[in-house]
Amino acid sequence: MSKITIPFGPQHPALKEPENFMLVLEGEQITSAGINLGYNHRGMEKAAEERTYLQDLYLIERVCGICSHSHTTCYITNVEELAKCETPKRALAIRTLIGELERVHSHLLWLGVAGYEMGFETLFMYTWRDREQVLDCLELLSGNRVHYSINTIGGVRRDITAEQKTEVKKRINYLMERTNYYIKLATEEPTVLARTQKVGKLPLDVAIERGAVGPTARASGLARDVRKDEPYLIYNELDFKVITHNTCDVFGRLVVRALELVESYKMIHQVIDNLPEGPIAVKVPMKIAPGEAVNHYEAPRGEDIHYLKSNGTDKPERLKVRAPTLANLQSVAYMMEGGWLADVPLVIAAIDPCMSCTDRAAVWDAKKGKTEVYSWEEMRKMGIEHYKRRGVDFSKL
Amino acid sequence: MSDFEKEEKMKSDIETKFHGAVSNAVVQRKNRVWLDCEPAKLPELLAWLKAEGFNHLATITGFDEGENLGAYYHMTDTKMLINIKVRTPRATPSIPSVLASFPSAVSYEKELEDMFGIKIAGLPAGRRYPLPEDFPTDQYPLRKDWKFVQPAEEMEAK
Repeated sequence: MSKITIPFGPQHPALKEPENFMLVLEGEQITSAGINLGYNHRGMEKAAEERTYLQDLYLIERVCGICSHSHTTCYITNVEELAKCETPKRALAIRTLIGELERVHSHLLWLGVAGYEMGFETLFMYTWRDREQVLDCLELLSGNRVHYSINTIGGVRRDITAEQKTEVKKRINYLMERTNYYIKLATEEPTVLARTQKVGKLPLDVAIERGAVGPTARASGLARDVRKDEPYLIYNELDFKVITHNTCDVFGRLVVRALELVESYKMIHQVIDNLPEGPIAVKVPMKIAPGEAVNHYEAPRGEDIHYLKSNGTDKPERLKVRAPTLANLQSVAYMMEGGWLADVPLVIAAIDPCMSCTDRAAVWDAKKGKTEVYSWEEMRKMGIEHYKRRGVDFSKL
Repeated sequence: MSDFEKEEKMKSDIETKFHGAVSNAVVQRKNRVWLDCEPAKLPELLAWLKAEGFNHLATITGFDEGENLGAYYHMTDTKMLINIKVRTPRATPSIPSVLASFPSAVSYEKELEDMFGIKIAGLPAGRRYPLPEDFPTDQYPLRKDWKFVQPAEEMEAK
């Protein structure tokens, strides 16, 4: 049978974000896969050099819509290290709490997407309904559902009250119960097993060779977790296990994430029960003495690493961000080779890719650089006119 | 010194093994070692580190220091981070590729080429990353002398 190459993306119904895979097929089987990236570039590293440290905090938060807290915490750890700032213990604990709530929200989101990709939409409906509980917790604590903005240089912006603690614990207990059901489902449900077992194989040695991180690496038996390897915030005081699995397939990635949810619930309880007393923030000068720092952070998708160089002014000299998806994408090409075309969406989804994180760094094209901004009213007017031309009048609504 | 035994040992091991090629090695704090390396010796140093258990190249950070361009190679065994600084002259910037030991570094190396204009010797040709195919090939956005100019029609709109 002759080989054909088909492009998968950048715009494809099965992909949530733009990325391109060139798949070489022999019948239904993939013989090789190439990855092309860069469709989502926003010029953040350059932009960061022109903003102050505090402004950058809000820029960096927008690297990713899901792990916004991961990026700001990683960035702020660098800033505080360079400023030689003693961040209060209570602030570190609150950051840890938000970080784990974020992991819960991200893993539940992934569980839903994986269910959707394997044709099990009920799972998608269930997990996304339950995810609202953790989003409510985040909203309660920070005022926001997605970009929490809890971090500030030198600490956090909001304290936690006793009522909030009770409310969060109540919701986490509910999620604990639900997660036990998902674990049972993931390990016993025939549809899940049929769609995930022996799909997207990534053996341990390849995972190491290709620099896999996070749940993708851990599902290949590689016990790599920054929270344990180089504890930051207050992780050295918390009791939790690094979850690994040795099936090296999508099933393993599913099990790892489901069991990690339980570990996160445990940690959330521990942080809330032992929240240290004291101030939540200290003042940090605007200007930061010259220096360099590099720190990593275990984001929901894996190791996130930031490098920061200061030059004595209130703006950074250089900021580098490497999000976990970029490290994991090299493994995806391997996972797809030898597999079936029908499994491609699931295999891609199994690393929980986040393109806006990955393509964070670039610049827009000055030649084509034209942006148009529509207001809500203009959009509405356009919609009404569009339908009017087709004989339907919505203007009375 | 005794506080960071592991780090000091790693530092002196590298200094002995790559005598002449590495300089300015410092232990910054627990788990952080910084050092400079000659570009020519870089692939060899990384291959050696990989054999020593530093099998994860976390990322590569390019930089522009004016006279020199260069890059940091952040190597880790997941606990200790060794940051290797490589400088190359701005007039003829070139760094050898490390793909032989770290095949996963391909997107990081392409980023150095696109954003800093550092030629990576030994990097196979292919599509650009991260810039689009029609971006001018003589412009390197992350260099310090590259300034973003707001397009004219944008300014008028305001």
